[in-house]
Amino acid sequence: MLKEIYKYRELLKTNVKKDIRGRYKASVLGVLWSFINPLLQVLVYAIVFPYLMKGAADHYVVYLVTGIIPWTFFQTVVNQSTTCIKSNSGIIKKVYFPRIILPLSAFFSGLINFFISCIIIVIFCLGFGIGISWHLIFLPVIAVTEGLFGLGLGTIFGAIDAYIQDTEYIVNFLLMMAMYGAPVIYETSIFPAGSRIGALIQMNPMTHIMDAYRDIFMDHAIPDMPRIGIVFAVSLVLCIAAAAIFQRMQKGFAEQF
Amino acid sequence: MTNSDNAIEIRNLTKEFRISRDGAKTLKDFLVRRHTRAQKHLVLKDISLDIRKGETVGLIGVNGSGKSTLLKLMTQIIYPTSGTVETAGRVTSLLELGAGFHPDFTGRENIYFNASIFGMTRKQIDGRVDKIIEFSELGDAIDEPIRTYSSGMYMRLAFSVAINVDADILLIDEILAVGDQHFQDKCYAKLLELKDYGKTIVIVSHALDQVRALCTRAVWIYKGTLRLDGDPAYVIEAYKKQSAIDHKEEKRVAHENGTEKYKGVVFIDSPADFSHVRKGGELRISGWRIADSDNFDFILSVNGKRLTDISPVERPDVISVYEEEYAGYIEDRAPGFSAAFTPDMAGELSIEAQIVIDGKRIAGKQITVTVE
Repeated sequence: MLKEIYKYRELLKTNVKKDIRGRYKASVLGVLWSFINPLLQVLVYAIVFPYLMKGAADHYVVYLVTGIIPWTFFQTVVNQSTTCIKSNSGIIKKVYFPRIILPLSAFFSGLINFFISCIIIVIFCLGFGIGISWHLIFLPVIAVTEGLFGLGLGTIFGAIDAYIQDTEYIVNFLLMMAMYGAPVIYETSIFPAGSRIGALIQMNPMTHIMDAYRDIFMDHAIPDMPRIGIVFAVSLVLCIAAAAIFQRMQKGFAEQF
Repeated sequence: MTNSDNAIEIRNLTKEFRISRDGAKTLKDFLVRRHTRAQKHLVLKDISLDIRKGETVGLIGVNGSGKSTLLKLMTQIIYPTSGTVETAGRVTSLLELGAGFHPDFTGRENIYFNASIFGMTRKQIDGRVDKIIEFSELGDAIDEPIRTYSSGMYMRLAFSVAINVDADILLIDEILAVGDQHFQDKCYAKLLELKDYGKTIVIVSHALDQVRALCTRAVWIYKGTLRLDGDPAYVIEAYKKQSAIDHKEEKRVAHENGTEKYKGVVFIDSPADFSHVRKGGELRISGWRIADSDNFDFILSVNGKRLTDISPVERPDVISVYEEEYAGYIEDRAPGFSAAFTPDMAGELSIEAQIVIDGKRIAGKQITVTVE
């Protein structure tokens, strides 16, 4: 499979290019929308959340930005790779190419988009007086780990979605659950130590990803590498399993549409 | 591959499609499907076929015979239910022209998108892009977004990419319906060039003349099985005969069940409508008529008086136009007719030709000429 992906590397490249530049090309603000969207979300939470929860974190706006932008990255990768088979049904029906290129493109375009969005995080960190530090060199490691986790999940969901169209709605729901099950808009400290929900949240791989982002952006600290290492290993195994499942299921894609 | 001279090897291939009543597949359908056994449709039955490198093969068969499915199996878009399909080298299909085109990007960028789907690398595309642009005859429009293109320009670009990607095997479904006559001729010439160059070409086509002219071999798929394989002229002849028999039988059943009405076409070539003829001279009335029945009456009348001395005329031009629609009915009964009439008084003449089956008028043509 890797050999075939290499052979079709140009397709992967052009797909990523099309994804990034093409998505918003017809809209007035263009690519800016991929940054405006998470910022608008930040705005909503920043206004509403302090009323719901007493004693919101210091620099809550920066806390939100460092949570929602990475979360949006994850969500985009999962969503895109879930729907990529169906949304490309036109070419799948007509041309042979390794179908795995489609979720892979979602992964790469999401990653590139995220790295660009990180400029916004940095602007917020500087603007709110938190500043930045050398710890940002860990950013690619965390982002790739997060992206691979999303890719693994999305590839499996995408293969299923070609056969059962309910999948994408279930995935939307699961993503929402996962977001509230990770410290994206709240801090884990709001749950009392030893509580069942607190333990459950620690089992969510995204919790460790979010913590790592806060470490490097807000606390200027080295992220907990063993924890990231475990998430990375889990993601990698997930991706390999996903590739095997996808490869088996892809033979029937063209007949499903 | 058992033989390195083969470009495509097909062994004991069988393909079944599951028929679903509608396209929607939801979780509910998936759960319910366990209880209602899905209907299966056998499209191809135990096909074995070798296509050698450098051959130009025409796949012929009526609609629904499975020939397009066979072509799709060769591209590996779909997979056989059992049996194997193996191909050697890069396969390009002209099944979908412009796959991966994005309307907001320029023609040049889209060449890269489209060519990359066929597995080409950037370097390979770089080396070919000028040739593609030149072939498409788009000129400066190549750097405009393709949403500004006319559909003809779009197809020209798509075809230029597909035919220039240097494939070893070219799979073509219904060729040469692209662009104007000039561009079609050019595509045809390009195909001949590729053929001479030793590329393997497989064509699915209804245009039997094209198959006869272009192909070195024809394969006839009949009801999902391989019926005949060999020289195009021979295979096409056999195919035509069988098609005529099947078509006739199909029509007979349809007419008997009343699901279809008889139909026919009548035309009077000469004299022309509203023309003037001389009194006392012989007026020759000629034209042609066809109907999808073996037992129809042809009535030719002048001012209501039936002419009886009508001679048949062979009309290959008419047959070539209608041989598909009226297969089985025009081969044995010459469609042309000719009759003479001598007008003996000045005035208007109404000439009417009609086809009557079981006392019912199926088709007719009426013209008026002035006698002076």
